Amino acid sequence: MSFVEAAKLADVPDGGALAVEIDGQEVALVRAGDDVYAIRDECSHASIPLSEGDVEGCEIECWLHGSRFDLRTGKPLNMPATEPVPTYPTQITGDVVMIDLSADRS
Amino acid sequence: MTTSSFVDGSEAIQDSMAQVLELSPVESHLHPEGSFDLADHEVPTGREEIWRFTPLKRLRQLHQETPLDGTDFAIKVDAAPGVTAVSVPVADSARGVSGYIPVDRVSARAWAAAQSVLEITIPAEAEIAEPTTVVLTGAGIENAAAGHLLVRAGRFSKSVVIVDYNGSATWAENIEVVLEDGAELTFVTVQDWNDDSVHVVTQHARVGRDATFKHVAVSLGGDVVRASTSADYIGTGGSVEMLGVYFADAGQHIEHRLFADHTAPKTKSDVLYKGALQGEGAHTVWIGNVLIRKEAQGIDTFEQNDNLVLTDGAMADSVPNLEIETGDIEGAGHASTTGRFDDQHLFYLQSRGIPAEEARRLVVHGFFNDIIRRIGVPSLQERLTASIEDELAEHVGRLEL
Repeated sequence: MSFVEAAKLADVPDGGALAVEIDGQEVALVRAGDDVYAIRDECSHASIPLSEGDVEGCEIECWLHGSRFDLRTGKPLNMPATEPVPTYPTQITGDVVMIDLSADRS
Repeated sequence: MTTSSFVDGSEAIQDSMAQVLELSPVESHLHPEGSFDLADHEVPTGREEIWRFTPLKRLRQLHQETPLDGTDFAIKVDAAPGVTAVSVPVADSARGVSGYIPVDRVSARAWAAAQSVLEITIPAEAEIAEPTTVVLTGAGIENAAAGHLLVRAGRFSKSVVIVDYNGSATWAENIEVVLEDGAELTFVTVQDWNDDSVHVVTQHARVGRDATFKHVAVSLGGDVVRASTSADYIGTGGSVEMLGVYFADAGQHIEHRLFADHTAPKTKSDVLYKGALQGEGAHTVWIGNVLIRKEAQGIDTFEQNDNLVLTDGAMADSVPNLEIETGDIEGAGHASTTGRFDDQHLFYLQSRGIPAEEARRLVVHGFFNDIIRRIGVPSLQERLTASIEDELAEHVGRLEL
């Protein structure tokens, strides 16, 4: 387990996504109320950054072809994506979002 | 097409005649008009039709601004007797003689950055059986570099030129090939890079009257290889055969983009690319396009791509295109297949007492032999068969002899 700082909590918009790069890995941080999720910032279908898409509850939608992914598991909820996107565990410590990239939950 | 035959006409008359005869250039949807000016080539976002299959993040900024002034490579040229091969400064070179104009940003950047041009010239009427070889060995991926190669086959000459890439490099390149009337040239590129190389190459051939051009692309190594190859014709009777053999392993991206631009009547093009994929994240892309222009009557074209997916986790994209501007053609067609092992083939071989592993090897060799024997360069054919055997050892099993 190695949690590292990903962003300030205040920088992650509620109901939206923030693109960050940690150790060369592009990650989308998504906030839904008090929870922050982390998902690799690349759609498994056409390599589009997921952080540019719409967030609805625990789902993020790729804007180009409309595949939605469950932010908790990374699983695609509808076509055209069929492969999951890796997700990562997060912690909120004070006003900082921590992320553990070593625990890839794809 | 030229309007210079309207000796007496004013420009206005010429223009209206050109309109009536529809002489204006037809723009291909996949191959927009090129430009030497970098400002005309925006940095791709990855969503453009010509870039959407390419993993831009893995191009090491070749498509952006990274300097192309690296020198970590060595070029060894072995010219066959009678063939001249010289490296000349860009200013003194004949580059551009193929009529090529950069069609994408990497090509335009490589054009601007190249310092010298390797010019290989085959004299007119020379018949040279021995291949001329160019071996480029990269010594590091940190500093990207640009290259330019120009091959000119004199009229009625017959020759073979082989370009071999190995080592590690980040390499952007333009290659021009010119076949004068009646020339016969076999031009081979072998991508035998280490697994960390990135190579973006654009090749254009101009084919003279009754000339015969055989282009062979062998792509085995490299992290990302993107090869765009085009040909056009300046006289009737020109013939182009494009053959490709590729083998993608885990994580490799191998992309071939072919374009036969039929700019003259009674010309031929025949494209066949065959590839195998194995391992997680192996990705091949094949984009074939043929443009049959209005003036290209009586032409014959066929393009085909076959992919054999050996394991789970590999992906093959294959998109044949055909743009036809005239109804008067001999033949035009295309085909694409992507599939796994045919269980019936395997069952048949096993029913004859051949073990499963051996049967799989035989099927893959059978798949490739059909194209390898068309290459017509014996030393290369043997090398390829051995390379495929090596690749197969990883997932399908090596034959113990």
